[in-house]
Amino acid sequence: MKKILISTVAVSALLFTVSCNTDFDTDVSNVVVTNGEANFTKFVSVGNSLTSGFRDGALYSDGQLQSFPAIMAQQMKLAGGGEFKQPMMPNNIGGFSSLFVASGQTEFYGKLTLKVVAGALSPTPSAPAGDIDFIGGAGKMFNNMGVPGAKSYHLGVAGYGNPAGISLGLANPYFARFATSVSAKVIDDAVNQAPTFFSLWIGNNDVLSYATSGGAGVDRTGNLNPATYGSNDITDPNVVAGAISGYVNALTANGAKGVIANIPNVTSIPFFTRVPNKPIPGAPATVTALNNAYAAYNAGILQAKDLGAITQAEYNARLIKFTVGVANGAVILDKDLTNLGPNVPPLRMSTSKDYILLTASSQLNPTVGGGTSVPLADKYVLTEKETARVLTATAAYNAKIKTIADGKDLAFVDANAKMMELSGASGIQFDGVKYTAAFVTGGTFSLDGVHLTGRGYALIANEFLKQINLKYKSTLPMVNVNNYQGVTFP
Amino acid sequence: MKKIVLTTVLLAGVLAQAGGFRVSLQGVKQLAMAHTSAHTEDASVTFFNPAGMSFIPAKLSVAAGGFGAQSSVTYQNLSTLESFDTNNPLGTPIYAAIAYKILDNVSVGFNFSTPFGSTVEWSSDWSGREIVQRLELKAFYFQPMVSFKLSPWASVGGSFIYAKGSVDWTKTATQLGGSLNIKDEKASGTGFGLGFYLKPTEKLDVSIAYRSPVDMKADAGVASFNVSPSLYPLVGLDANGQDKFKAVLPLVDEYTVGVTYKITPKWLVSGDFNYTGWSQYNKLTLDFENAAVGNQPNDPTVLVSPKNFHNTQTWRVGTQYQINDMFAARAGYYYDESPYADENFQAETPSFDSNVITAGLGINLMKGFGVDIAGGIALPKSREAKNSFTSFYGQAKAKAYYFGLGLSYNAF
Repeated sequence: MKKILISTVAVSALLFTVSCNTDFDTDVSNVVVTNGEANFTKFVSVGNSLTSGFRDGALYSDGQLQSFPAIMAQQMKLAGGGEFKQPMMPNNIGGFSSLFVASGQTEFYGKLTLKVVAGALSPTPSAPAGDIDFIGGAGKMFNNMGVPGAKSYHLGVAGYGNPAGISLGLANPYFARFATSVSAKVIDDAVNQAPTFFSLWIGNNDVLSYATSGGAGVDRTGNLNPATYGSNDITDPNVVAGAISGYVNALTANGAKGVIANIPNVTSIPFFTRVPNKPIPGAPATVTALNNAYAAYNAGILQAKDLGAITQAEYNARLIKFTVGVANGAVILDKDLTNLGPNVPPLRMSTSKDYILLTASSQLNPTVGGGTSVPLADKYVLTEKETARVLTATAAYNAKIKTIADGKDLAFVDANAKMMELSGASGIQFDGVKYTAAFVTGGTFSLDGVHLTGRGYALIANEFLKQINLKYKSTLPMVNVNNYQGVTFP
Repeated sequence: MKKIVLTTVLLAGVLAQAGGFRVSLQGVKQLAMAHTSAHTEDASVTFFNPAGMSFIPAKLSVAAGGFGAQSSVTYQNLSTLESFDTNNPLGTPIYAAIAYKILDNVSVGFNFSTPFGSTVEWSSDWSGREIVQRLELKAFYFQPMVSFKLSPWASVGGSFIYAKGSVDWTKTATQLGGSLNIKDEKASGTGFGLGFYLKPTEKLDVSIAYRSPVDMKADAGVASFNVSPSLYPLVGLDANGQDKFKAVLPLVDEYTVGVTYKITPKWLVSGDFNYTGWSQYNKLTLDFENAAVGNQPNDPTVLVSPKNFHNTQTWRVGTQYQINDMFAARAGYYYDESPYADENFQAETPSFDSNVITAGLGINLMKGFGVDIAGGIALPKSREAKNSFTSFYGQAKAKAYYFGLGLSYNAF
């Protein structure tokens, strides 16, 4: 009897132990994070607003704490990384009072928050929380050298952080806050910290300010002297490449390893995609009135065509005719059209190849008549031709950035590809949460439509970490994107 | 001897969650023998095979019991190095059954049971919180039945199944900055059971049974969003942040063939084979009335989640030894298959290929009145989660224990 029982138990025990594999092969609590061929002791991150943690139209402490380099540094700590000091803003609202007033209350406001305005959620700027604080000076070092608004060549400009130059437009207030001296260069303040590892993501503003201003600047391709550029101009690709190449040489001079990222196409971000390019609904009554109102203009361009002043193609493009029952293009001012004198302004209707900017939202209100009876000003539209200039410049920058990365054997992040993936129909999913580039609801872009949310920066940080691991055989863990801040609803 | 039996009970102490959200805890005697079916000692046979009633050695038999099922699941992600455990509460399935011979060859009976259900609760910060934070599924089966003895060695039986159930599912809605609860307590459905029970010789029992699928229809579900009221109009919610939904959850069918053989008058062995129709659960569709939280391009209020379950087999072996008039010792082993592949891992119903060992003791207190205890321990195999639909990747492992206490009374 005993025997039988024992054998029964023994047989059962055998049966399950043979095929049992109940535990993990590797338990995460035992995983040792390694630095591979890289040394993360001193990580310095160089770049613009995207590096600083800028979001919701402002630099504020929550955003800084979730900047992509800060996220990366926290993972690097697991593999010998040191402290990551950021030039923290003194509050969680951002903005600079005196500069806000000086700009006519259009710049340096506090962060945007969502408010319910006339029944709809609408990003609304807040008042600046205080005036600019200067926390730099000799020997004051910061690992996050992201300077909002900086273009590629700015990082090498002496005096870019001189407080006296801010009001003259010669210096950058964000760098002035933490520069080591009035004559300091951003790149020198970075290199002088002797980083063992760096990230460099610069060049976005060399084309972005042109795009966000609706193409208000000039395409400077072919002009190698940035001193002659205006703030909204497109930088010559060789200038961008020369600047970046110089920074990389300086940063790697002591043997530091690093990672470099390319520039996303502006057409992937909600600032340009939020407003539909045919935003005018075709209500019967308004259509008739509008077509009557533009009859004189249409007669004017017909005359110009008959006189040979414009081609048949331009005539077709400029003809303004609203159609009942469909979404119509907005009437826009396009300075690339032939100048026909003050009586026949350069007008046409927007097409599916134009981008109407997020800032035009308020203008499209029917009571204001923007895009219908009042043409949208140049600054509200990135036209097809302007878009082509932007994309051409971006492609040229990206080709050169890749060459520089390969030449120095640096880890390379294809930020453009990642943003295109995000703006695609399927977006990017993380642990069940679907992220897209949709404004407000997509979760990755902050309320300014250009900069990312904490979750968006976490997605980017993971991409950086992934490429660093690939290049340097380190095993830095990814972060859980869903644990970071998204858009906050009122 | 006693010692060995007790140790066996203690060691083996436990388990019985079958693949998916099927619960193999319907009879304490049966559980002790790997939840095998070809036993006609009391009314608990009614769940397994209505035809078994005809062979209960009493005119009236009553059986009831309850179980405790404790399980926990551990998830880890080698990419983020995160690790989380479930906080599942103790599951307490119960059953009650009665069988009565109204004529020598006609028996009627009634069985109440909880054959489907699960409660999964994860810590609030766990990485799959968008998929499930807490999910409680319950299904109660009410089965009136009748069995006819066709000959001294064969019977046939059938049952009608009325099922009542509830779902209570909470998950985060990260993009809305809040959470979502889906609840229906009035889901119901119907089905049937059919079986043959044969005793061709003194020594042999053969049980053949089929239990049909039951489509649990939730027609008046309430989806409550715990999000900012400013989002109600955008999402399509009423002033309370709620919306209605409809869904159908299939409780799948099962074929069972069971055999019991008496090696000696005191010692019997049992074997069972179950074939469970999980492939019916190929997707879950939540049809919201207004809320635009779905994923269908032509109808944003419909959310379809692929499940892609596949049919499963379970193999069971159990044994009983009648130590003396008072005590019977039981033990068993079964292998239970997960109804989905790694690519379809479902965090809300985590499921594993499992080896399960069981044991138990039967105590005959007085004539016709018995108390049974049983326990089981499941040893689920750790597995990968590679669900691209939810972008949920990682590894999962689990453990589970079961114990049960049953009472039975055979009169006349």
